[in-house]
Formats: sequence, structure tokens, C-alpha cells
Amino acid sequence: METIIIGLSIASILFLVALGLAIIYGAMKIINLAHGEMVMIGAYVTVLATKHLGANLYLCIPIAFIVTAAIGYGLEVIIVRRLYGRLLDTLLATWGVSLILQQLIRIHLGLGLFDIHIDGLGSDLQNVQVPELLRQTLTLGDANIPVYRAFVFIVAILLGCITWWLVYRTHFGAQLRAVSVARGIASCCGINEKRINSLAFAYGSGLAGIAGVMVSGFKTVSPDMGTPYVIDAFLVVVAGGVGHLFGTVASAGILGELQSYVSSILNDVYGRTAVFATVIAVLLWKPQGLFVIRSR
Amino acid sequence: MIRQDLIAARKHRIQLQCYVAFIAILLMLPLMLDAFWLNRIATYLVYGICAVAICLSWGWAGILNLGQGAFFGMGAYMMAMSLTLASPDNNPVPQLMLLNMEPTAPRELCCITPGSFLWIPFRWQAVGVAASIIVPMIMALGIGYAMFKRRTSGVYVSIITLALALIIQLIIINNQPLTGGFNGLADLAPLTIGSFEFDPYGNSTYYLVTAVLAAALFGGRYLLSGKMGLILRATQEDEARLRFLGYEVEKYKMLAFCLSAGLAGLAGMLFVICAEFASPALMATGFSVSMVIWAAVGGRHSLMGACVGAVLVNVIGAGASESPLFQPIWPIILGLLFIGVVLVMPNGIAGVFDSLLDRKLRNGGAAASTDAKHVSPRPKTSEAR
Repeated sequence: METIIIGLSIASILFLVALGLAIIYGAMKIINLAHGEMVMIGAYVTVLATKHLGANLYLCIPIAFIVTAAIGYGLEVIIVRRLYGRLLDTLLATWGVSLILQQLIRIHLGLGLFDIHIDGLGSDLQNVQVPELLRQTLTLGDANIPVYRAFVFIVAILLGCITWWLVYRTHFGAQLRAVSVARGIASCCGINEKRINSLAFAYGSGLAGIAGVMVSGFKTVSPDMGTPYVIDAFLVVVAGGVGHLFGTVASAGILGELQSYVSSILNDVYGRTAVFATVIAVLLWKPQGLFVIRSR
Repeated sequence: MIRQDLIAARKHRIQLQCYVAFIAILLMLPLMLDAFWLNRIATYLVYGICAVAICLSWGWAGILNLGQGAFFGMGAYMMAMSLTLASPDNNPVPQLMLLNMEPTAPRELCCITPGSFLWIPFRWQAVGVAASIIVPMIMALGIGYAMFKRRTSGVYVSIITLALALIIQLIIINNQPLTGGFNGLADLAPLTIGSFEFDPYGNSTYYLVTAVLAAALFGGRYLLSGKMGLILRATQEDEARLRFLGYEVEKYKMLAFCLSAGLAGLAGMLFVICAEFASPALMATGFSVSMVIWAAVGGRHSLMGACVGAVLVNVIGAGASESPLFQPIWPIILGLLFIGVVLVMPNGIAGVFDSLLDRKLRNGGAAASTDAKHVSPRPKTSEAR
């Protein structure tokens, strides 16, 4: 029982990070290695907002969303826009972006060079205070569930629903899907392709920011915390099948549960090994991922 | 037509002269450097060999391997195991095993810790040297067979190799009694062949690395200027048509992938000789991505360009890390450099030289004939979307 719940909580974090990436990679064909840095920035926004603004964790969610979405928007307009259609080049350029973002946090946004230090930035580890309510544990039958994990799970479900609604039930979503299927024809039909791309990139980054807020509640925050997340999330997206929200949900669930289960019977290392091995096996067995959209 | 052949031949000759000049400069460097920098440059040349390996698989065969660190690391570990046993402190069994053994276990290499018998062949250094090339190649053969048989391509290859490298890294970290775990292997003897000892800080190691690099550059160039290079170039243009024409594309890809892995393993072996340690960090994703970036900066289609890229990025990085002003902003400069390379010169430094050379050659002969047609000496990169 506890294994399942830990698995769900791993899965929900994976899902939150992967959701943004699914939009950015799935719909726009951009391998965004700076996605993990959006998680990291989301976490730092939480640190700063709780330290300097006295905000609590709930309030940090919209703040982090806005900050990371703004950064994502800027990134798309300045760099990513020039790289559509050059998949592997996007990987290199965004790796460069992630190096820059990490270092900016380490040197206090550049102010560190002039000996101005901001409390909460720098290369040290940071911690975030979680509200009283979320620190308790629920007892359900014979299992103890930390409320925080349940909270993360609920946030993940909510955001999943919102994203589903946005992509499949709104005008913006229809345009986004049109652009992702046939870029040229979509713009011939009068869709402002550039605007859609920028907004989608911003939204994906914003989701990563929220994931960062969630992560900051139970992990220490450091400048290089994002890298493992982006790799895991990327594996989730690719294994689940590209351009398919359901695939992302399912593969986040499967991989999260698998990791938790194997970790509980062997150890953490084998848990992670099992995840990677499964991804390799899935890609060899079904090179397009578990769930494929049939087109044409 | 004849004119184009002439230009191509002249270009070929100029490129070859560049290769020779590069190696000649490298051979003269020990005259100007102290032991510390000699060792550093030797390490960077090892990175150069890695970049050449990346260039072979990515630039020519279109296989972006994000797990090259696994091959490099395996090569490094094979050599490091051998050199560990050569060190007098580690006889008959390595220190790391004494620290991790069960109290009752016999102090023999066969059975001191579970799996320690795997170390036995590494008592002979020749085995270590051979294994550091062969083991990565066998790994590449296995994973390559599985991938290319199913015609996996593009970004999926990158993901699979990335995940593979992560698995191997985790396994090595987890098997502390066998591999030294997170700390890796650090108590190493210098490489000794016959009675000659390769001093990591001396000329001998430097020349060893340079010789291997030269062999990799010229060997790779020879290989790619023949049929294999032509077919690999064609796969990047239109793989389906090539297959239709009856070429077994997969075989060529496999060959490039395995050679690249072997070269990476060889580089790993030399790294251990220069740097005197092997650790799981060599297999981290960051290191694998750095290799790709060196090749991208130098020019992914040019073996020498990739090598120069690796050396340049590392030398500048080492210089920057010594100045207190540049040290904190160096990663930012590095990041900007990658973005700049991708946006402004997608074929890297070598690409810039290449187009300059093209223009010069074409203008130089323009008076002779007026029907000069466009010469495209390198494949246009058409990546999988």
C-alpha cells in the first residue's frame, strides 16, 4: 500500500515535469534541456517568495508559474524560434541555456560579482518551510500517507485536467494541435504560428515552474537540481508516445510505480535502473512509444 | 566537370596539409610547456579523441549518441582496473576490496568480494589495454544491433544511449566492493610497457596521446574518404533511397557506431593514463553532452575540427578557471558560446574555414572557365524532424 502511494507521488512529480515537456517536445518538436532549469527556478521562486515576501507555498504556485512562463516566453522569442526543424540543434542550444541559468543563480543573478548577495540564492542548498496543514500525515487503513504527497498528487491531477481542457477544448488548443500536425498548412489557414509557439512554450515552462514549487517542499533546493528531472521527464514523454497527453500520464504512472516497487524490494539504485531499462525496452519494442497517434 | 574535380582535389590537399600542420604543432608543444600544462594538454587531446569519435557517429552517420560517456567510462575502468593491480599497495588484492570484504572471506582475488574474480584477467596489462577497446565495441555491437535492426533513428537513439549510460553508471556506483563505487579507482600505477614507464607528467605520455590522436585522425579520414564515407553521407541525405538502391544502410551505421565506441574506449584508456583515476562521473550525462558540444563547436562534419573544438573549449575553460574574475562567469560564456555556435555557425569552426576555402578556390579559378557550378563538398545536414 505504502509502496503504491510513494509510487504515485513519484509519478505525480514526474508527470508535472513531463507535462510541460510533452507540450514543448510533443507539439513543437523542441528538445528543451532547459526544462529542468525551469523546475529549479520554480523552486528558487518559492525560496525567495517565502523568505522575502512572506508568501506561503500555495501563493507560490501562481507566482512561480508567472515567472517561469515569462522566462520561457523570452527564451522562445530570443533563441528557440530560430531553431524549428533542427531537432538536435535545439538540444545543444537549450543545454547552453541551462548552463547559463544555473550559473546565474549561483552568482546571485550577476550581483555576486559586485559583492551584493541575495539571501536565498547562491550555490548553497536551500530549504522551504511547508505550511502546517501539509506537514501532517493521514492514516488510511494501515498505511500512513504524508499529506504533502497527497497534495502533490491532487495538484498533478488538477493541472493534468486543465492542460487537457486547454489542449482539446479551447480555440488555442485547436490551433496548437493544428500547428503541431502541419506547421505550414496551419499558418496558411491564418493561424499565427509564432504566437502559438511562444504561448505553448511559455505554458510548458510555467508547468515546470509549478513542478519546482512542489519539489521544493520535500527536497533541498540547489542550482543543479533540475538536470535529473529533465532527463527523467524526457524518458517519460518519449516512452509514452509523443504528442499524446494520455501516453504521458500512463507512462509517468507506470514508471513511477515501477521505480517505487523495485526500490522497495531491492534498493533505490535498482529502482532507477529498472526505469531506464524499461524505457530502453519500450523504445526497442515500439520505437514510437507506447501510445501512438495514427495519422494518415 | 574537370574543373570541379580539380577544385575538389586541391581542397583535399589543403585539408590534408592542415591535418599535418596540426599534428606537427602538437609534436612541438612539449618544447614550450611545463610538466603541469603538458599533462593538461594531453588530457585535452584525449577529449579531442572523444570529439573525433562523436564526429564519426554524429557528423557522419547521424547517430547522436548521448551515452558516449558510457563507452569512454568503460574504457577508463578497464585500464584503471589493470593499473590498480599493478600498484604495489594493491597486491594481492586492491585496497578497496579489503575495505569492503566480509571478515571471513579469503584474501584472494578469486573470492574476496562477490564478483571479484572478474578482476583476475586484469593482472596482465595487455588485457586491460585490449579490453578497454574491445569491451566498449562489444557493448556498442549489442545495443547497435538491437537499435538499428528495428530501424530506430534520430532522437530515439539518443534517448536509448542516454538511458544505457545512466544504467551503467548506476551499476558501477552500486557495486562498491567490486568497482570502488562513487569514489572510483584512484590508486593507480603508471602504465609500464616492458621496462618503460609512461610518466603522466612527462613527454612519453604526451607523445603516446598525440600518436593515437594522429592515427585516429588520419585513419578516420582515410576511411571516410572511401566508399564508407560516401554511403554515410548519402544516408543523411536520403536513407530510404539508399536502401532502395540495395545498400545495407544498417551495416554501415553499425560500423560507424562501433568504431566510434571503440575510439571512445581508447580515449578512456588514455584518460586514465593521463589523469590517473577513473570514476563514475566520467559516465554522467553532463560529460557525454560536453563531448557532443566540443564536436559541435569545432565542426561536426570535420574530424580535425571536432578535435580542435574540444581542445579550444577546454584550454579556454582552464584559463578562465584560474582567473578570479572569469571563473564565476565562465559557464555563462560557455552557454552563450553553444547558443551562438548553433545559431550562427551550425557547422562550427571547421564549417567557417570550409566556406572561406571554397570561396577562395572558386574565385581563384573563375577566370579559367565561366561555367563554374556550385560545388558542395559537404553534406547538408538534414536531420530527422
